[in-house]
Amino acid sequence: MTAVEPRAVPGEVATFQVASPDLEAVVRDLGGLRLADMFASDGGDTTVLRLVWANDAAGQAGYVVTQTPIENGEYPALSDIAPAAFVEECEIYEQFGIRPATGKPLNRMMLPPHADLPTLGRKPPREPDEIRAPHTVGGQAFEFPFGPVRQVGAESLYYGLVTSGEEVVDLYLFTWHKHRGLEWRLRGKTPREALFLAERTEGLSAVAVGWAFAAAAEAAAGTRPPEAAENTRAVALELERLYNHAAAMAALCQSTGLSVGQSAAEIALERLLRLNARAFGHRYLFGIVDVGGASRAPDADVIRRELPGTYGEFKRAADALLRTNSFVDRLEATGTVTTDQARALGLVGPVARAAGLTGDARQVPSVPGGPYAAGLSVPRGTAGDVLARFNVMLAEAGESVRLIAEFLAAGTAAAAAELPGTAGTGLGWAESPRGEALAWLALDDHGTITRARLRPASARNWRGFDDACRSQNVFTDIPIIEASFWLTAAGMAR
Amino acid sequence: MTLWFIRGIRRGVVTTRYPARPDASAIDLPTPPAFRPRELTRQVADGVVAVCPSSALRRDGDVLVYDVGACTACGRCAAVAPRAVTSSGEFELAATGRSVLIKRIPIGEEAP
Repeated sequence: MTAVEPRAVPGEVATFQVASPDLEAVVRDLGGLRLADMFASDGGDTTVLRLVWANDAAGQAGYVVTQTPIENGEYPALSDIAPAAFVEECEIYEQFGIRPATGKPLNRMMLPPHADLPTLGRKPPREPDEIRAPHTVGGQAFEFPFGPVRQVGAESLYYGLVTSGEEVVDLYLFTWHKHRGLEWRLRGKTPREALFLAERTEGLSAVAVGWAFAAAAEAAAGTRPPEAAENTRAVALELERLYNHAAAMAALCQSTGLSVGQSAAEIALERLLRLNARAFGHRYLFGIVDVGGASRAPDADVIRRELPGTYGEFKRAADALLRTNSFVDRLEATGTVTTDQARALGLVGPVARAAGLTGDARQVPSVPGGPYAAGLSVPRGTAGDVLARFNVMLAEAGESVRLIAEFLAAGTAAAAAELPGTAGTGLGWAESPRGEALAWLALDDHGTITRARLRPASARNWRGFDDACRSQNVFTDIPIIEASFWLTAAGMAR
Repeated sequence: MTLWFIRGIRRGVVTTRYPARPDASAIDLPTPPAFRPRELTRQVADGVVAVCPSSALRRDGDVLVYDVGACTACGRCAAVAPRAVTSSGEFELAATGRSVLIKRIPIGEEAP
């Protein structure tokens, strides 16, 4: 065991060095925490493996980062202990050429084949496998390829559906079609230059990912944003949650064939987007978060005047849908994710909370005090199905409206603290509409980025999507499940 | 379902009669830049080329080449050179040929 045993400290990021031979024991020991992310960075001859753990217990929320130098190109197969690590094991192999010691097959996750794109570290000795979910396609079962260009959804995504005709036997995803190499592009930039690209990691979470990125830079530089700027970010974050949940409601209506309900939800969505534009100058809330603070303050009068009516439109549509049996029946017992599955895969956001977990990144204050210190209601479900996720989203929307009024009363401003050009590392987080967004930054002596890790919530939750689809569902349930997860392909193809 | 039909009828039409009546919210939309050639110098042109994140701008001698098809209307060029670059307010950008979207802006000349 290491000299200092890694443990969580409430409200803080605790960083620990773990030697490679001790890593397996530490991962077993931290099993009570949620494995929130895993990534590597190049340290010359060695590659450093970092694991980010989250403590979601009420009143105890905080993060633990362990860092382990890997010298011989192999590390213990962590996904055998913590299944949540598998996607990252694949990603790290593609980007740095190091792999779990057991020699288990690793899938292609990020880099498209034959493209010869630059990697963050040493290229792997051989191409990743094209391993699909472990199933035998025989007898009556066959594979049904779907995508990457699809009739619904603007983003490219490829499903391999394994079916016996109607029931989904298995489903695997290819998410590398539009890899953009964002983490590679951010190297050598200052955090302020890089923020523009970081925000675009996942456009529907521009505020959340931007906030996580800016907070990571602030932590690395030891700077604290002004309180009023934190309130500005929080107003934008809750507006982002509102319009995303309205969009998810519209997608649920579309997937269940309820066209008037879809129109009702889209009217609410459009009103929310126009409110964003009037309050902040951008429909999708880009360019609000600044490194060190916020670059635009909201027009508080506009929000106070228009939000109640706009939320009323949203609420009327939601209430009418919950009174419609043909809608509710399609959602109930569809796409179930059990509590154990959500925990094992490290899922986040409404998907995890609808399955009974408690994690919400807003419970960990980004700065001591912070906008959410006055209290936050975190709605949860138990069933883990689409209906539970929809109910969690509706309850969250109501809470967002309450919080926005609170933040506006506390005072907002466009202000930013200057970052000194110093070396350091930092972790940042924010709760996006689809769950916890994380960012980790390493800065050199000039304050430029040597390694940026971006982990939007979609990068986490897609790994639960195939389990949800396999839970005794048929083809026509898949769009409903996809709408209730409300993830982006961009979050994976970053 | 009858209730939804009545609910839909009662809510009425909410879309805009575009293009007969321009949508008031159009002024909120970010639109691609418009360039004032007279305000452009080689130095200003190099400045806007440097900040363009999608490589929609490049300088070819005394001509600023602007690819509307690659522009994401981010507004960075207008932020660094507010005298030479303004927001066009134009968002009907469809064209029948790719080459139509490549604009050549002569540096330092009066606008035609």
